Amino acid sequence: MTTLTETPETSAARETPARRRRRVDRLPYLLLLPCLVIIGVLLLWPLGQVVAMSFYRLNNVRQLRGDREWPWVGLANYVEILGDPFFRTVLRNTVLFAAANVLLTMVLGTLVGLLLNRLGRKMAAFVASCVMLAWATPALTGTIVWKWIFDDTSGLVTWLFNALPDGLSQSLFGHSDWTGYGWFNSPLLFFSILTLVVVWHSFPFIAVSVLAGLKSVPSELHEAARVDGAGPWKVFWKVTFPLLRPVFGILIVLSTIWDFKVFTQQFVLAGGTQDRPTFMLSIYSYAEAFSPPPKYGLGASIAVILTLILLVVTGLYVRMVLKQEEDA
Amino acid sequence: MNRWKRLAPVTAVVASAAMVLTGCGGSGDDEAADNSKLTVWMMGEGSEAQTTFLDGVETEFRQKHPDTDVVVQYIPWLEAPKKFQAALAGGEGPDVTELGNTETQGWAAQEALADVTNRMSGWTEGKDILPDLVKNAQLDGKQYGVPWYAGVRGIYYRTDWFAEAGVKPPTTWDELVAAAKAVQAKKPGTYGIALPGNSELPFYSFLWGTGAEIATQQGDTWKSGYTTPEAQRAVKFWTDLVTVHKVAPPAAAGWNEIDARTQFATGKAAMAFGGSWQQGAIKKDNPEIEKVWGTFPIPGPDGKPAPAFAGGSDVAIWQDSKRQDLAWDYLTVLLSKKNDQAFAESLGFFPVYQDLVSGDKYTNDKIMAPFATAMQNTKLTPLTPKWVEVSRTKTVTQAMNSSVMKGQKTVEKATADAAAEMESILNAK
Repeated sequence: MTTLTETPETSAARETPARRRRRVDRLPYLLLLPCLVIIGVLLLWPLGQVVAMSFYRLNNVRQLRGDREWPWVGLANYVEILGDPFFRTVLRNTVLFAAANVLLTMVLGTLVGLLLNRLGRKMAAFVASCVMLAWATPALTGTIVWKWIFDDTSGLVTWLFNALPDGLSQSLFGHSDWTGYGWFNSPLLFFSILTLVVVWHSFPFIAVSVLAGLKSVPSELHEAARVDGAGPWKVFWKVTFPLLRPVFGILIVLSTIWDFKVFTQQFVLAGGTQDRPTFMLSIYSYAEAFSPPPKYGLGASIAVILTLILLVVTGLYVRMVLKQEEDA
Repeated sequence: MNRWKRLAPVTAVVASAAMVLTGCGGSGDDEAADNSKLTVWMMGEGSEAQTTFLDGVETEFRQKHPDTDVVVQYIPWLEAPKKFQAALAGGEGPDVTELGNTETQGWAAQEALADVTNRMSGWTEGKDILPDLVKNAQLDGKQYGVPWYAGVRGIYYRTDWFAEAGVKPPTTWDELVAAAKAVQAKKPGTYGIALPGNSELPFYSFLWGTGAEIATQQGDTWKSGYTTPEAQRAVKFWTDLVTVHKVAPPAAAGWNEIDARTQFATGKAAMAFGGSWQQGAIKKDNPEIEKVWGTFPIPGPDGKPAPAFAGGSDVAIWQDSKRQDLAWDYLTVLLSKKNDQAFAESLGFFPVYQDLVSGDKYTNDKIMAPFATAMQNTKLTPLTPKWVEVSRTKTVTQAMNSSVMKGQKTVEKATADAAAEMESILNAK
């Protein structure tokens, strides 16, 4: 009996706060709604459109307007792209470029972050503002300046190489006159310069984020490690890195996404969509979709492939980060 | 008072909704009869020559249509394709537009331009337009644009440096190389010739000079002419200027015509390929150059000037325009022989009328005379809307030449690859 009378009471007692909580719980969703609507209209809807477009043959602007039919082609756009040997070149360029850039950006950014953490207040402010300048420069403006630096007649780099002693230049590179040298001629050289420009643009963010992470690490930990006789290398890998692992995780994900879809810098350095051997996925998608004659369907399918690759990469990292948190 | 205040937002919403509704509902019918405004898109930045000339055209046009306001919008050349696509996708375009004559077929295939075949055949003055240019604005036998002005590329050279080196303007390929080498030797630190390795149109003069063709149509299939010995000879000559004769630097593989022109204008090169219309830009870079420059037609291999591509502009009526009759009236005023002559001259181009180009009008102009000679022998790139993909998107010819200049491919391999790519694009279903 006692048990019988008790049960409804306890369930009722459990129910009331639960019900109240449910009523209260609607508020956050309501508050999120405007944001969700904006994301939906500005991100999800276009994304859905791109996915939809990739299944149609869209070669006429009037189709976008709805004046003409959209012929369904199923996976034909994907088959065409994936079967094109040129796609392999583009994919290889993209993956290698992204890998190199993420690595370099992370290493340089972390080093600068560590440096900023060690510097005195005045010096740190000075270095930080220098670093911020690179970050604050818009991609377009910055890249144009870099292009001038590598100009074949009056560029700073050309001038520097010309200033090398002729004999040294001759023995190192086989020629001493650098005026008129084609800095962007070979794909490897082009990608090296592009890497320089992209890393220059993106390392400040990493540096500042790492610095923010470092500030949250209690300095006793470092001191304790140093007292125990650990060198800087060991302190970083045994203390700093494990503590900042989530920060590094998210920074690597972000860098990967950014470096996979580099467009502005490449477009400016290559002078448009002419230099096909140096194509990467985003400029390839743009060139196919918008260069006359337009092939919106084909361009959309390349964009979808790029998105899928990024989703996979991001998914892997997110799982890694989550797993590490569980382990910890 | 208080009540009105409270109602004010409601009233505003209702009123604006009503405005939106009537605006949407009425616009379709209204526009058909609305001749109060004619929108004209012109390429470029709206230079003084352009605006003065177009103001004059408007005055002349309004004598016949006093109630129509002509609104001219300037669109930078490089922006034009995006602007056209957006207009076509959104449905709000111009009534009349200028466009590059290499693009007319492509936009006609995109159903952007109105068919003016009938209007054209009923227009007397238009019968004197150079037939090659008229044909260039056709697609499947229909006329989609009207030629406005045209020009050809030639070679600009420094008369003072040539005199110092003791060479004359060349008339054969061998003389061209010899002159470039002689001047380069005399003037260390400069290039014999500023070669736009990443441009196709100057190169076609060399190709056509050997008798080769870009591509020819046999029945339904296009066949590229790049694998012929003549074409390979042209590619070899063009790329040898960089790789063997070294009268242009390796960086030239990436130069377009503007880069090359700047080299000449700034005193870094003895010769440069350029159109007659580039005089203004060169003088802007270096006003002094006027005293020491000259031009000559691009030489063929054996002493005759090579055929040149007739570049320039067409004027077209936008297919979505609801004022096409009015647009055509504007177009015929714009393109009257008198106006055409005046405008073409102010830009450094040639008018498109046969009777205005021939004759000896240009013989005394030291810059224009050689271009006028070249105008007598023009050729066109393949007449198919797919050409623009070969030329602009895949840049087949430019890539072929640069790959040889950069040492990535032999002439045989580069021409074979380019021919295969060109044929696959032109013959795609």
